[in-house]
Amino acid sequence: MDIITQLQEQLSEIAMVAVNTFGTLQRDAPPDRLSSSYPDPLNPNPKPEEDAKPQVPAQPGAAPAQVQPPPAPPQPPALDLAEHPKAMSHALVLAAKRFDALVAALPLSSEEDQLKRIQELQAENEIVGLELQKQLEAAELELKQVEVLFNEATDNGINLKKPD
Amino acid sequence: MATSAYPPPPPFYRLYKDYEQDPSSAPEPPPPIDGKYEVFGVTREINEVLPSLESQGIRQLYPKGPNIDFKKELRTLNRELQLHILELADILVERPSQYARRVEDISVIFQNLHHLLNSLRPHQARATLIHMLESQIQRRKQAIEDIKQRREEAQKLLGESLLVLDGSQTN
Repeated sequence: MDIITQLQEQLSEIAMVAVNTFGTLQRDAPPDRLSSSYPDPLNPNPKPEEDAKPQVPAQPGAAPAQVQPPPAPPQPPALDLAEHPKAMSHALVLAAKRFDALVAALPLSSEEDQLKRIQELQAENEIVGLELQKQLEAAELELKQVEVLFNEATDNGINLKKPD
Repeated sequence: MATSAYPPPPPFYRLYKDYEQDPSSAPEPPPPIDGKYEVFGVTREINEVLPSLESQGIRQLYPKGPNIDFKKELRTLNRELQLHILELADILVERPSQYARRVEDISVIFQNLHHLLNSLRPHQARATLIHMLESQIQRRKQAIEDIKQRREEAQKLLGESLLVLDGSQTN
């Protein structure tokens, strides 16, 4: 693929990574606490936790069983929330760096240089074309001469061959 | 226009009936088109230029002028893009309802980037032309060398065969 198409593809990739970053973050974001008067959605039963701690050695049955399920679900999203943005921002920076590398690899030259080079090459092409044509004509002439000689030689060969 | 699955050939093939005997009896091919032409219902120009950003109503972020330093401008716009993405992330955290302005800025940056890349295409076309001319010159030179070599070989063979014939004649 030519380098300009690669640059365009890299731009699309940057856009895609950015969109995916914001999309996954917004989709997987846990609910936010709106105000202190509403219960905290991340931690629905905070009060039994303070009472459960001194009671754990005394009542290892019902109270700890009640406290354990609520803290368990919020834990897995907390890990994703820390790793996801890191991985995705890493991908974004990587894509941007690749774009810069491709830009550095662009073989740019000014328009006048290009036009001058095209004219030089056209002139050289003309000269080489004329030379080629000359050689071709000379070679075809020689081929005709050789053909004539060959025909003569074969005719002589047939005519001079003694009939057996 | 034929709409069947297997359309018939164009009707003017009958005009070339006697082409073998008399090449001038058949009509010449039509001359190349100049100016506008229509293809599949779309009118296009011969010399299609890239429309400038202003004509499409988009703000141009890189400086105008005859000579644009493409590499520098592309890198600058890339930095701006990254900054704007970070700003969008911040805005979404703090003032989520004001995302529209930032998203519009990011799309303007992308459009500028694509316009810059598209304006590099004529340069690429000229570079391709240069490459084609160079390879054609190379092939022609190679052909000249080959012909010269073959002619020399033929001359040598002829000379040898003459010697052989002369040798056998004097014998």
